[in-house]
Amino acid sequence: MSAVVFARHAMTPAERLRDAGWVAFVGLILGVPLIGLTTVDVGGRLGVETRFGLLAAFVAAAFAGRLALRWGIDHMRNRKLAREQASTTTAAQRAHGAQRLVNIVGWVALGASIALPIVYSDNRYVVDTATTVLIYVMLGWGLNVVVGLAGLLDLGYVAFYAVGAYSYALLSTQYGWGFWEALPVSGALAASFGILLGYPILRLRGDYLAIVTLGFGEIIRVILVNWTEFSGGPNGISSIPRPSFFGLEFTRRPAEGEQTFAGFFGLDFSAMHRLIFLYYLILVLALLTHVFVSRLRKLPVGRAWEALREDEIACQAMGMNTTNIKLSAFAIGAMLGGFAGVFFAARQGFISPESFTFTESAIILAIVVLGGMGSQMGVVLAATLLVLIPEFGRNFSEYRMLLFGAAMVLIMVWKPGGLLSHREPTVRLQATGAAASDKEGAR
Amino acid sequence: MKKTLLATAVLALGGFSSAALADLTVAIAGPMTGQYASAGDQIRKGAEMAIADINARGGVLGEKLVLEVGDDACDPKQAVSVANTMVNKEIAFMHGHWCSSSTIPASEVYNEADILMATVSTNPQVTERGLNNIFRIMGRDDQQGLVAGGYIAEKFAGKKVAVVDDKSAYGKGLADEMAKAMEAKGLAPTLREAITAGEKDYSGLVTKLKQAGVEVMAYGGYHTEVALILRQAQAAGLQLTVMGGDTMTNSELVTAAGPAADNVMFTFSPDARKNPDAAPVVEKFRAAKVEPEGYVLYAYAAMQLFEQAATAAKSTDYVALEKAMRDGSFNTVIGELSFDAKGDQKAPGFVVYRWQGGQYDYAQ
Amino acid sequence: MAYALQQLINGLTLGAMYGLIAIGYTMVYGIIGMINFAHGDIFMVSAFIAITAFTILAAADVTSIPLALTFVLIVSIFFTSAYGWAVERTAYRPLRGSTRLAPLISAIGMSIFLQNTVQLTQGARVKPIPPVLEGGIVLWDNPTFTVQIGWSQLLIIVTTVILMTGFTWMITQTPFGRQQRACEQDRTMASLLGVNVDRTISYTFMLGAALAAVAGVMVTVYYGVVDFFIGFLAGIKAFTAAVLGGIGSLPGAMLGGLLIGLIESFWAAYLWAEYKDVATFSILCLVLMLRPSGLLGRPEVEKV
Repeated sequence: MSAVVFARHAMTPAERLRDAGWVAFVGLILGVPLIGLTTVDVGGRLGVETRFGLLAAFVAAAFAGRLALRWGIDHMRNRKLAREQASTTTAAQRAHGAQRLVNIVGWVALGASIALPIVYSDNRYVVDTATTVLIYVMLGWGLNVVVGLAGLLDLGYVAFYAVGAYSYALLSTQYGWGFWEALPVSGALAASFGILLGYPILRLRGDYLAIVTLGFGEIIRVILVNWTEFSGGPNGISSIPRPSFFGLEFTRRPAEGEQTFAGFFGLDFSAMHRLIFLYYLILVLALLTHVFVSRLRKLPVGRAWEALREDEIACQAMGMNTTNIKLSAFAIGAMLGGFAGVFFAARQGFISPESFTFTESAIILAIVVLGGMGSQMGVVLAATLLVLIPEFGRNFSEYRMLLFGAAMVLIMVWKPGGLLSHREPTVRLQATGAAASDKEGAR
Repeated sequence: MKKTLLATAVLALGGFSSAALADLTVAIAGPMTGQYASAGDQIRKGAEMAIADINARGGVLGEKLVLEVGDDACDPKQAVSVANTMVNKEIAFMHGHWCSSSTIPASEVYNEADILMATVSTNPQVTERGLNNIFRIMGRDDQQGLVAGGYIAEKFAGKKVAVVDDKSAYGKGLADEMAKAMEAKGLAPTLREAITAGEKDYSGLVTKLKQAGVEVMAYGGYHTEVALILRQAQAAGLQLTVMGGDTMTNSELVTAAGPAADNVMFTFSPDARKNPDAAPVVEKFRAAKVEPEGYVLYAYAAMQLFEQAATAAKSTDYVALEKAMRDGSFNTVIGELSFDAKGDQKAPGFVVYRWQGGQYDYAQ
Repeated sequence: MAYALQQLINGLTLGAMYGLIAIGYTMVYGIIGMINFAHGDIFMVSAFIAITAFTILAAADVTSIPLALTFVLIVSIFFTSAYGWAVERTAYRPLRGSTRLAPLISAIGMSIFLQNTVQLTQGARVKPIPPVLEGGIVLWDNPTFTVQIGWSQLLIIVTTVILMTGFTWMITQTPFGRQQRACEQDRTMASLLGVNVDRTISYTFMLGAALAAVAGVMVTVYYGVVDFFIGFLAGIKAFTAAVLGGIGSLPGAMLGGLLIGLIESFWAAYLWAEYKDVATFSILCLVLMLRPSGLLGRPEVEKV
């Protein structure tokens, strides 16, 4: 529990000790009720157990940790200061360099993601986890349209994800639709839900919008849980057909008169074929999303979104139709979420309302914000981190989610603007290009 | 472009890599964290003891067993992730998952990877999907509901009964079956209600029950909510008898509900602790300060099932092992186990229990 | 009629509790304009502290209920305020002046962190205590239905009324209240006029946590069962209450809490209990469509 406070002058050793002592004291107070004392079940009643040894260790760790952290921060700051004084480049030049670096990293990441299943072709876990990362990347890019570009805070994004997933599940299990037929229909359905949500709340702003979207997400989930005849209720929908490779199924034994993927290419059957196929499928979907959103940003509608984010009143004064701008952002964000939902249902083969809780919305939003709002590469980075931290944490089993929460706080405190907070302005005036502001606070 | 890449990727590396392991890895999975962590804990304790015992006997086919533990927190998405991890670890056998909603998606992964599993999930869907790698060592909700509903119709004939569930896959399935069984025996439920699990305030429900003059509540769901409903019923001056399912075996119910827990009845498989063959194992658990309640002995039995099937098949190869499990009959701490074509246990037999002073025993 | 009266009592009790938690949201929002998602978990921590305190008292053979309640309240308020202070200091203060969403994400992370800390240190099992306040007053002995109000329900309603009065007095009449309101209006100006903004914000967080602590103790007394998951649902409901009443407004938070408690009770009593959350959120949407800044909220003045 050490706080990050910006010091104004160099600290003397005595001050450092006092500072660390203060942190240790706070740690002691916080630790007494939760670490020092615990209640245990003794024969049907609760009894109190003390763990003062553990508490002492915690306080000592807080003291030492604070000393080290404080020293580390000061050290880093001095070095940064020295470097800044020594270097002659301007902030704009550095930002430009950073942007180029991000671009290079982007291409490298693309190459790596194409090569990944080839390298790990027999490692189910890696391919599957990478697929999960890509689903979140796609969701992040979708939500980025609403939050990052249009500046509308949406805490119920998971509703559109659910609409997409359930449309595909119902269309395929009830009416026998294929993946490719259901994809556009489900996307359109999710988009219309986006408009449905967007319409009544056009007048709301900021946090009022947030709670209504949160409520909308909950309403969709509660309906899915309770309307058993329609959605299977809490049982969810199982045995959802998997996408096929141009009509070739990924099964061990082909159905009557059909051919399997393995049979067609003369391979031995392997369960990995489908996994790798699914991986490439979501990779293609995600890349299409990326291209789509990047293009949109350069179109009038994309510019309108960013203008709306920066100043709604100015938009209105310029004669822009804010209703349409907002609705289009909701609809397009929802559609992308719907696509991701279709893929999710097809990959899992089973969906139930438990997969569409508020926590899911919070994680998608965290991906967008942690990545640096509006930054496409940032979303990739944040999605990778947020999926991989709990996965690596499996080795620490019970500390897994603790680390996840702590990481969210620490990243935010360390980089309040997000991991890749620098944003290239979409439009640059030629003459004053370097002076274009890179980050306007979205307040 | 993408398609050619895909084809090359698949063509180039379609092969398998199979490393011979010195030890046999078996796994358990369930909610080791989260709301239902105490059930996961029971499974872990049972499996650990079983593996220690099996290894002390010389292991399976001369190989020592190593245990892997997977935590799905009862979240379907995490369950699939756990399943993939387990496939990578080349486990020979899986006992899990616990929540039906986790077992269903995870079992498809195990099925693709040819891994046998034994589960205690009670939702009918678990074995109804035609997967041949899954065996259920516990009864099904429909059988459970039949027994519980029949018991209510018989013992509480003429009284007003409410059927309540918590909207989980497990709870709703069980409550629906109980209501069906009651109606079949001529006792129509007075009220059919649903609550939201995880809330704390059920005074609305309690008042509604009181208004309708309900004396018996058939409940599909977990023990935590039952404890709260009982406490609030008592505070409101309502005497309520509760009939629940296998989750009521958890002794947390007694701690949380206090003396009101004596009004809870539930269905569960015949008490394995009463099985004379299981006595030495039960003693061993108690010596290790673990009360072999709930799922502890089931986890133990699942490992025994694997040991005996592998010994009978003289192999841990999927095809041989699956055949051995389907055809054989196994003597475990929870009694004789054999399976039908779907993978359901042949003689599940549910019995009605009642809590009494912190212990549960057969109800008269 | 008797049935409706009983449901009214249930709804008021529930609503009072939501209101107490909602004030924490609304105060924090008022002063720094962020949704403190970790507030529900602060409430959960306080319930755990209360459980431990009650258990210690039971072990020490304290039988006087007023004494026990006072002790538990003081202990819980003290430690919970410390948590409120520490959360603000570590997770929100460094983010002051950055984008609006940064503290929101930090708060969600903090909420996950607190939940798991409690699960790790106190265990995942539910923690029960024996009923503290048993019995109640029979209000109406109708032959078919006895309406009664439990002592614990009465305690909750009375405590809430006292706290609300005290709080309103503090915000409107004391120097601290003036500083608090000054910071709400304009932080820069307040600091220029000699108000210690950092300290005022810290106190606000501690006050919000203290009210959550009172709610935590009440929950422990009323329901007698606590687990590490209670903060989440209560937090969402209380946040809804704060918005419904008009976020930033103290009486609004209380009104919103009561309304949501009553809607939940009556919807579940006469209609379909399983759709009661749909009802709550639909009514919220309706209210916000008609009054975009909540029932008692001030319309935002926009400067261009």
